[in-house]
Amino acid sequence: MPEESKDLIAENEELKRQNAIKSDLISISAHQLRTSLSAMKWILKMFLDGDFGNLTAEQINFMKKAYESDDRMIRLVNEMLSINHAEDSLETTHREPTDLVKLLDEVVFDFTGESYKRGIELIFLKPDHALKDVLADEDKMRVIFQNLIENAIKYSNKGGRVFVTISEKADVTEISVRDTGIGIAKEDQEQIFGKFFRAPNAKAQDVVGSGLGLYTTKRMVEKHQGKIWFESTTGEGTTFFVDIPTLG
Amino acid sequence: MSKKILIIEDDSFLQGLASTKLEKEGFAVTGAANSDDAMKAVANEIPDLILLDLVLPGVDGFGILKMVRDNPKTNQTPVIVFSNLSEDKDIKHAKELGATDYMVKSNFTLDELADRIKQILK
Repeated sequence: MPEESKDLIAENEELKRQNAIKSDLISISAHQLRTSLSAMKWILKMFLDGDFGNLTAEQINFMKKAYESDDRMIRLVNEMLSINHAEDSLETTHREPTDLVKLLDEVVFDFTGESYKRGIELIFLKPDHALKDVLADEDKMRVIFQNLIENAIKYSNKGGRVFVTISEKADVTEISVRDTGIGIAKEDQEQIFGKFFRAPNAKAQDVVGSGLGLYTTKRMVEKHQGKIWFESTTGEGTTFFVDIPTLG
Repeated sequence: MSKKILIIEDDSFLQGLASTKLEKEGFAVTGAANSDDAMKAVANEIPDLILLDLVLPGVDGFGILKMVRDNPKTNQTPVIVFSNLSEDKDIKHAKELGATDYMVKSNFTLDELADRIKQILK
């Protein structure tokens, strides 16, 4: 092997090692930050709920500001974690036969608490028969499902519903995530998968977002030779579709 | 009669806060800071629901969850994992071991936690 190639391999290994250290550091810091931020969140909410007695209007006002400030910090920590995860996940691909129904079931389970909290019904319409496995990188598929379901919940209003389906078409397995949320305006539809793009009606929802979710989702789908698209009507909702080639 | 909640959490401050709130909501709360205390508490009285942290000294939350599920007296007891770890591998592992729900502490207030407990115990 030429010296130059050896140097490149060594350099690549060193970068991977440094990246792993960076990721670990972010995960550990996030855990520690969250512990303190949780304590503050819980106490402030208990004050606001009157658990420690009645407060004056002025005290309530300041407690609310402190609560909102703490909550913003929590959302930033969450965002930092998800970007870190997406970056890590894009680096390598390990594809193997994967049961997407099981994977979707797990991801839907992960969001049960969040959807309940936001008053949104999250429904996984499981197929009534077994589906073929798909050659996929399980970690990346998980992030794809998480991003789509998280967005569907984030951009829905209380009382909304999110439906997740999976089915086999000719030579692809198709996953859909349908919400009854704010929708994507016609003029924004072309840019929705762009890096750092956030639609004005999404920003107006006061939901923290990096504008990287759909960008990374599309890249991950394409790494599977798959296809992602959507149908949307402002004020009525959006359905995202993902097609992944089926095995065999 | 009040429903019995066992909180397994090594941070005494967080445990105290959660106990205060859940008691105000009408639950009977017992606390444990490690697996030995948790198993003693379970042997003493089977809780109606277990709230389980993951990062603990000695046997961690996953180890405790496994013990709870292996114990015929508690294998049907609902367990909410309540942790600030949020990596997919942790959530997946907890589900495989039989967690009823997984809640990231910083994403929920204690009244939301109480609501979820009431819903599960309904």
